[in-house]
Amino acid sequence: MSTPVSSTETAVRPEVTAFVARVRSHLADLGVDERDELTDGLEADLGEQHALGEPLPDPATYAAELRAAAGLPPATGPRSRLAQLTADLDEVRTRFLAWVQSDTVLTRTGWSVVSGVRPAWWVLRAWIAVTLLDQLVGPWEYVTLWPTLGVPLIGPLLLIVAVTVSVLIGQGRLWPGSGPDRSFAARAVLVVLNAVAVLAPLTFTGDGTGAGDSYAVAAPVTGDRKALVSGDRVVTNVYAYDASGQPVTGIQLFDQDGQPVAVSPRGEIRVDRDREVVCPWFNGTTPLWNVFPLQQRVQRFGTCAKALEAAPAPAYDQPPLDSVPPVSVAPLVTAAEPTTTSP
Amino acid sequence: MDTTQLLKGVLDAAVLAVVGAEDGYGYDVLRRLRAGGLTEVGDASVYGTLRRLYAAGALTSYVVPSEEGPHRKYYGITPAGRAQLETQTKDWGTFADTVTALLETGARP
Repeated sequence: MSTPVSSTETAVRPEVTAFVARVRSHLADLGVDERDELTDGLEADLGEQHALGEPLPDPATYAAELRAAAGLPPATGPRSRLAQLTADLDEVRTRFLAWVQSDTVLTRTGWSVVSGVRPAWWVLRAWIAVTLLDQLVGPWEYVTLWPTLGVPLIGPLLLIVAVTVSVLIGQGRLWPGSGPDRSFAARAVLVVLNAVAVLAPLTFTGDGTGAGDSYAVAAPVTGDRKALVSGDRVVTNVYAYDASGQPVTGIQLFDQDGQPVAVSPRGEIRVDRDREVVCPWFNGTTPLWNVFPLQQRVQRFGTCAKALEAAPAPAYDQPPLDSVPPVSVAPLVTAAEPTTTSP
Repeated sequence: MDTTQLLKGVLDAAVLAVVGAEDGYGYDVLRRLRAGGLTEVGDASVYGTLRRLYAAGALTSYVVPSEEGPHRKYYGITPAGRAQLETQTKDWGTFADTVTALLETGARP
């Protein structure tokens, strides 16, 4: 299906826009005002010229001619490193824009969609920034919608502030923004920050596997929502003894509502170099963490649920107590003294 | 002969004359110069000259928004520009006469 292209859409072809941007990059050594003055309206003039069949010349020659006719000094020698970087940045931007605004319906539609969801990205990158901070400081924890940062309210508050700042930057109100007229430093910082925002989530862990695990080594699991807690201590394994005081293996624990009383898959017995994790029982292939005692194995990263090569087979650890005193439901009255007195 | 070098000296006056006749935007001025016989004139030279004359106060400029694309920058002549054009017209006349006479008769003692 061919798309009818109206004259309003082709007022300025992308190659003209690209050409003007390249000319501008050759005038990068001039002040912003001078450069604007030289190139303001140029797009319209060249657009008309080009539409009438005049080919676009070499941008460098063109810029030199423009400069000379305007009575400005020629570009001095080889461009400075900064000017070169700025020109390179302009070039990349120009090529990209020319590409997304080219005539193919796919790229144009795609770009208009991407442009449309930019505000969503502003919000997302703010969340990523706060979540990254959340992951880097304080105890290890799962990535949550509201970053916790260990202190009540501070996470949501910080998130709101970050979103505000990010949106203001996106609108160009708080930061010079992107585009050819901004200083190189301002643009470079923005590019780097956005790149970090794109890459940072790769280090986030939502399910307890991946790079985030390294934080757990140094930190207690108090931030672990799945942790089984007794008082203020995290329970990582449970040892059951029967009434006679002998250890029992394979007891399944459930609470008053029939919910499994399970320890966290991330439960760690030791967190130093010989980091030891607990391994689940299985119902078929479903791992169960509410059957005790759990086996354990030494594993540098991750959880036992994730079978890692070179990890030793799990085994029961020595119970903390070999046996415990026998117990009874009702208090046992020791009638020993009277009976011993009888003959 | 290559008229590029000759053009440099008179481009200011030519541009002032064209804009003085009627306001115009860059490409419009270029077209009128070419239509007037300066077929070799380069667009960047004209656009640059317009900007320089504007910076010198010989031209004013105003922007006409376009619904179809980027705005057009129109140029008009200022009183200072008219004065400059008058002077340059006179100078050109004198200079052209002198050179014409010189070329026709040769420099005879």
